[in-house]
Amino acid sequence: MKKYALNILAVTVMGLGACQKGLLEPVPSTDIPDFKAFETKERIASQANGLYSVMKHGKFLGGKYAIANEVRGEDFVNEKANNVTLNASWRMVPTGEAQEVKEIWSQGYITINNVNVFLTGMNAVGNQVVGDSIAKLYAGEAKFVRGVSYFSLLQLYARPHWDGAGSKPGLIIHTEGHAKIGSYARARSTVNETYAQIIRDLDSAETLLTKPAAGALTSITRANAYSAIAYKTRVYLYMEQYDKVIAEAAKLVSASAPFVSPAGHALEADVQKVFAPPYSTKESIFSLPFTGSTDDFPGTQTQLGYYFTPAAKPFTGNGEYSMHPNGVIADSSWKSDTDTRRKFIVQSLGKKYWTKFPTPSPFTDYIPVIRYAEVLLNLAEARARQTNSVDPTAVALLSAVRHRSDATITYTVADFANVTALLTAIAQEKHIELLGEGFRSMEITRLGIPFPAKSSTVPVIAPTVPQYIWPISSDELIYNKLCVDNN
Amino acid sequence: MRKLLLVLAGMLLIATSLLAQHPRTVKGKITDDTGNGLPGVSVSLPGGRTGTVTDAMGEFSLSVPENVKSLKVSFVGYETKTLPITGNSTGNVILLPDSKSISEVVVVGYGTQRKKDVTGSIASVKGGAIAELPVQSFEAGLGGRAAGVQITVPNGIVNNPPVFRIRGSNSISMSAYPLIVIDGVPAFSGDVGAGISNSPLNPLSSINPADIASIDIAKDAAATAIYGSRAANGVVFVTTKKGKAGRPKVTYDGWVGTTRPTRLPTVLNTEQFLEMKNEALKNAGNTDRYVANLDANGKVIDTKWMDVVYRDKTISHNHNVNVSGGSESTSYYFSAGYTKQQGILKRNDFARKSLLFSIDQQLGKAFSIGARMSYSNEQSLISGSSGSLEGEAFNSGGLARLAFLTSPLVSPYNNDGSYNISGSGMSGGKNTLPIGIYNPQVLLDMDHSNTEASHIQGNVYLQLKPAEWITLKTQYGADYILMNNDIYLNYLSGDGVSSTGDVTSIYTQNKRWVWTNTVQLDRSFGKHNLSLLAGFEQQRDARERYGLRRQKQMDNYFNNSEGGWLTDLSRYLLRKENYLLSAFSRLNYNYNEKYYLSANVRQDQYSAFGPNFKKGTFYGFSAGWEITKEAFWTNAGLNNVFSSFKIRASHGKVGNFAGLGDYDALSLYKPAPYGGSSSIYFNQAGNPDLNWETSKKTDVGFTYGILNNRISGEFSYYYNDINGLILFVPQMPSAGIPITSTTATIATIPTNVGSMYNKGIEFSVNAVAIDKRDFSWNIGFNIAHNKNEVTSLAGDITAIPFVTSSLEQTSINKVGYPTSMLYVVRTDGVDPATGRRIFINANGDKVYFNNADAVKYKYEDGKAAPTVGVKDAVAYRNTNPKVLGGLENTFRYKAFELNVLLTYQTGFYVYYGSNAGLRDQRYWNNSTDVLNRWQNPGDQTDMPRVVYGDNISNGSSFAIAANVFKGDFVKLSTAALTYRLPDNIANAIRLQGAKVYVRGQNLALITKYPGPDPEVSSNGNNASGQGVDRNTLGNGRTLTVGLNVNF
Repeated sequence: MKKYALNILAVTVMGLGACQKGLLEPVPSTDIPDFKAFETKERIASQANGLYSVMKHGKFLGGKYAIANEVRGEDFVNEKANNVTLNASWRMVPTGEAQEVKEIWSQGYITINNVNVFLTGMNAVGNQVVGDSIAKLYAGEAKFVRGVSYFSLLQLYARPHWDGAGSKPGLIIHTEGHAKIGSYARARSTVNETYAQIIRDLDSAETLLTKPAAGALTSITRANAYSAIAYKTRVYLYMEQYDKVIAEAAKLVSASAPFVSPAGHALEADVQKVFAPPYSTKESIFSLPFTGSTDDFPGTQTQLGYYFTPAAKPFTGNGEYSMHPNGVIADSSWKSDTDTRRKFIVQSLGKKYWTKFPTPSPFTDYIPVIRYAEVLLNLAEARARQTNSVDPTAVALLSAVRHRSDATITYTVADFANVTALLTAIAQEKHIELLGEGFRSMEITRLGIPFPAKSSTVPVIAPTVPQYIWPISSDELIYNKLCVDNN
Repeated sequence: MRKLLLVLAGMLLIATSLLAQHPRTVKGKITDDTGNGLPGVSVSLPGGRTGTVTDAMGEFSLSVPENVKSLKVSFVGYETKTLPITGNSTGNVILLPDSKSISEVVVVGYGTQRKKDVTGSIASVKGGAIAELPVQSFEAGLGGRAAGVQITVPNGIVNNPPVFRIRGSNSISMSAYPLIVIDGVPAFSGDVGAGISNSPLNPLSSINPADIASIDIAKDAAATAIYGSRAANGVVFVTTKKGKAGRPKVTYDGWVGTTRPTRLPTVLNTEQFLEMKNEALKNAGNTDRYVANLDANGKVIDTKWMDVVYRDKTISHNHNVNVSGGSESTSYYFSAGYTKQQGILKRNDFARKSLLFSIDQQLGKAFSIGARMSYSNEQSLISGSSGSLEGEAFNSGGLARLAFLTSPLVSPYNNDGSYNISGSGMSGGKNTLPIGIYNPQVLLDMDHSNTEASHIQGNVYLQLKPAEWITLKTQYGADYILMNNDIYLNYLSGDGVSSTGDVTSIYTQNKRWVWTNTVQLDRSFGKHNLSLLAGFEQQRDARERYGLRRQKQMDNYFNNSEGGWLTDLSRYLLRKENYLLSAFSRLNYNYNEKYYLSANVRQDQYSAFGPNFKKGTFYGFSAGWEITKEAFWTNAGLNNVFSSFKIRASHGKVGNFAGLGDYDALSLYKPAPYGGSSSIYFNQAGNPDLNWETSKKTDVGFTYGILNNRISGEFSYYYNDINGLILFVPQMPSAGIPITSTTATIATIPTNVGSMYNKGIEFSVNAVAIDKRDFSWNIGFNIAHNKNEVTSLAGDITAIPFVTSSLEQTSINKVGYPTSMLYVVRTDGVDPATGRRIFINANGDKVYFNNADAVKYKYEDGKAAPTVGVKDAVAYRNTNPKVLGGLENTFRYKAFELNVLLTYQTGFYVYYGSNAGLRDQRYWNNSTDVLNRWQNPGDQTDMPRVVYGDNISNGSSFAIAANVFKGDFVKLSTAALTYRLPDNIANAIRLQGAKVYVRGQNLALITKYPGPDPEVSSNGNNASGQGVDRNTLGNGRTLTVGLNVNF
């Protein structure tokens, strides 16, 4: 009997010995732990792409950012009365708790912190792994992403530059990576301080990055020096520094028509090609790419195509927003029979829909962040404002954009009675040219004009009222006591 | 041998002395309540001087002196009975399983203990109490049956895990669900398919309730500490049936029943809809009007969407056959079950096939081996989202909401009989204004979102007793859940339209093995009784999951992922593992069964904890004092009243990490393509200091038995001080910490920071009020009071709001308040002068809201006020019941038995969020409450003036106090009338016994709560979002007829 007992005891002890201590320190096989993220050149290259992956999330520049800017404007009608699909934003009454207000704020800062964590890791170990020349490129791309992200957030969550000359509260600025629990509460910088950070990033990106030829896919989906320069024409316009717009644009736009850049950027003959596969046109400067692979397209209820295209074949949108009959489509000078851009309008069930992003589910159309046509119009406006005259180059730039889509129109200086008329025409051209790409709200606030009424219950929003811009995310106000709301 | 001889000699002596008193022989038969003869029952003369035991058929024959007028019948696990003797036979005597006896045995973790020796707090429920209930899993039937146990069946979706709490909610971010241990193997619990398909799968439903012998619920540290880091929520020990020595026993159990939805809201018909919406349009200054549509016969369409979605005549049935038996060295139990149950939502079904086999074999004198294997196949079937599971509340296709939201103006079908579809939704006919979201009929007809699991559980053991007082045991247990989800969203209406059909198949395997080695020493030294347990245990879980998602169906013929589709995507990929390595020990000591001491200790090392804190030690101590054994007690004559009175106290430290992700402590980079190129990015901020939550539990109480245990019960006071709560601490968005979960709205990092306490008292009493031969009345009553308070959260974060289904901020955990406070904007009714909703903003100012006004928010004086929103919300009302319990009465008259269980909960509130939708002034249909709307100055009503497009006044945009109601209720939980076939008839048809019963479940509800049922949870078991009723399905009322036959 004792023998058996001993045997049993032996088995028991073996059971103990068999315990595998290594199992107490598991490492996931599906995600890469932080201590292995900077181990190889290839992995760091993946991280460089990852900078953009986070930015192109459907809750940020991959969808909702553009959608929010469009539906705040006057060009669309909310069809579904659904707060998840930005009904409150369309009605200009979102609170800080509104899903889109929280999501865009949060995803914007996640994009920024991802850049910061990357830069921190590169400085610590990554730069040695990839070598100096590649390290510089990655740093430039990271800063471009950060600059674009700060600029985008600033337009929705802060008063425009003209209000107090940039002295109003801007964004909370972080440039160091946050990878663990910490005390990160920080107050909002001013609008001017935020712009200064954006310009620092973009200037740095311009210096660090290369200047590849236009049109190649990699020079469109990853930042280069031209992306930074082009973006600066926008940023300086929003900062009301028109001389700087002109100076930056000079690096990208030839002195006279046909307008081209040293790298070959130019207007595409047919604007529709910019929004059709393969999306790599010489007009494209920086676009966010999508494919039908898992996790490579925007998520549910964040896709531009889902919001604006109808359900009728060949589209598979949800028709969340139809075109407002009193929106920019009501402009008779935007000719319905000759202007190519009218082809983006389709009729379905008695309503008009905007189909600039027509590809059906899973909605893989590339989203342009900046393209050459905008740069031309940025320059045109800056010249008109800087010279305070009907500047012939400004007219030529404007004409180039209009004429590209409507061959029946060529503007001359004589078409504009004064600089105001020219500026109005440039603003209208931008409105039409960039319709659906997420500019309308930030153009309205930049210009300081009221948001037009959209229905009996959605009245005019004057530049002075609080709803002119979005409130700050309620989550930020709850957890960051140093942050103040817009009012 | 010498002992035996002495006993024999003694018995002879007694027998001789009895003979001298002209004894007679009394015969009888003892059976259980199903008529089966009970072997081994002791039948004795009063005073216990002599007696006998029943034979294999339950029959006995005993010589009884003339002057003896009664016999005592007793059997472990059964109620003791005293029989009056008239004549020479007692006839058939039925013994009932004893649900209150303090002489029985309870399971305590790695062993059992006599209940009278227990010094921890353990409540026991016999399997019989839940075996016949029309529930999918046993724990759904526990409500009201044990003090301090709260069970909330969250809605009418079948196989949805109930909310299960023992002594309040003992966690905030982790699971507050107790640890469930089935025959020694910790089981999976919760909804294992959560977040994937719309049909929940409660892994505990794999256990056929009819196979359960007993459920022991351990509540305090002494009783739970042996489970260390997993014990803080309490431990529930489930013991399945085993065979008993005797002839094979065959039992059939079955019932058939029907469930109907109850207390659904009444919504507007077409006439009322037109009146209300057109008035609202007019009030909004809108010139559009709704108009009626006509059907093919020219009649006005008036669709009752509730009837489209709910099922009135459900059929459910349940069958179970078991065979058990054994010899002196072998015992076995074999059972097979089948059940199919229909829910009150159309297309919502649950089906289970189950097999259980257990065998125990003695090998020689010292060895024994045994095995228990169970296999079950469970199917949870549903068309799609009901809107009732955690995360579903605002699903566009949520059927419970579509049922009340969709306009009566339109029919599910066009007049030509085809489906009414337009875009992803429905055509309004003559209306251009919206009339609904999706066509529920199409969703119900075409979609499916099914879950099927094959669940294999089993264990084998080898036990050696080298000496009577030494037991060595090794047990290996496994629990495998192999699960398939099959999800199809049709191309005609609903979420599948934009992808022209969308189908997903997911395969998941949850694999667990547990290897336990224990040694137990039991020894008595005089009056000192000692029992020592020591053991080691390893538990390993591995989870793998992959899913195939396909879109764009090539033909409307296809509706599964194996068919023809154009787009292929992967989905729900997962591979995780964890490992728990433990050592534990328990020492029980008592002196003369008068003074008791017990100590438990366990050390756990767990893989998911941060590298800095892998190892934790937990313990529990307890002491007991059986006062009735004291001379002073006896001298005071108290023994005439009290048959037992034991004071006990315990204290200990246990932990909790249930729900902690396997890799939550790590910082991770996620792979995701960037335009077809490789990319990874920072996606999870971990915490190397992450470890268990700590519960320090103190418990003081007494158990009592009065009048020979005719009245018995228990009283406890407890205090549970919880520290180091693992909170997913919200990070300010500007810090840019990534949001790891796709359903979360804010980034979090798990951190051991918060603290809270639960304290309360529990009291239970079981009494045999009447115990006559033909009539008996048993009463069981329990009541528990619990107070919960959060005492700290994350440093300077003193409040963490909770968002229901990623959309609506409904709840808050706030320092100084209980968990899950309702977090709403206060309201002050409706202004009788103008019909405007009056909100009270954060400053306490009244703000009047009019959606039709250019300046929508105004102060009382007419000045513009800032927009009111969630920032004005306050921690408004408590959702944790302060008092809860049950009252069970069992009346027996001859062959009839009536069992009635009432459950009650008071002192809590429920947010009836669905009411916001039922009064929403967009195109939504409304409840008939809106007919009471304000119309003229002076109208006193709780329904504001209707203004089309107004989704603020009634709470759709943010949660408001007007939709918060008291949840107090008394529920007629079950009532069952049983008739037992008389033995002569049963025997004539060759049965050992038979009974039939009719049973009602959820029969009546007394409450002021206006929603379908105050027992509800839109957020499932989530401990931070209780008391929310947002677009959930109601509960049903079930009637069953059952049969139990023994062969």
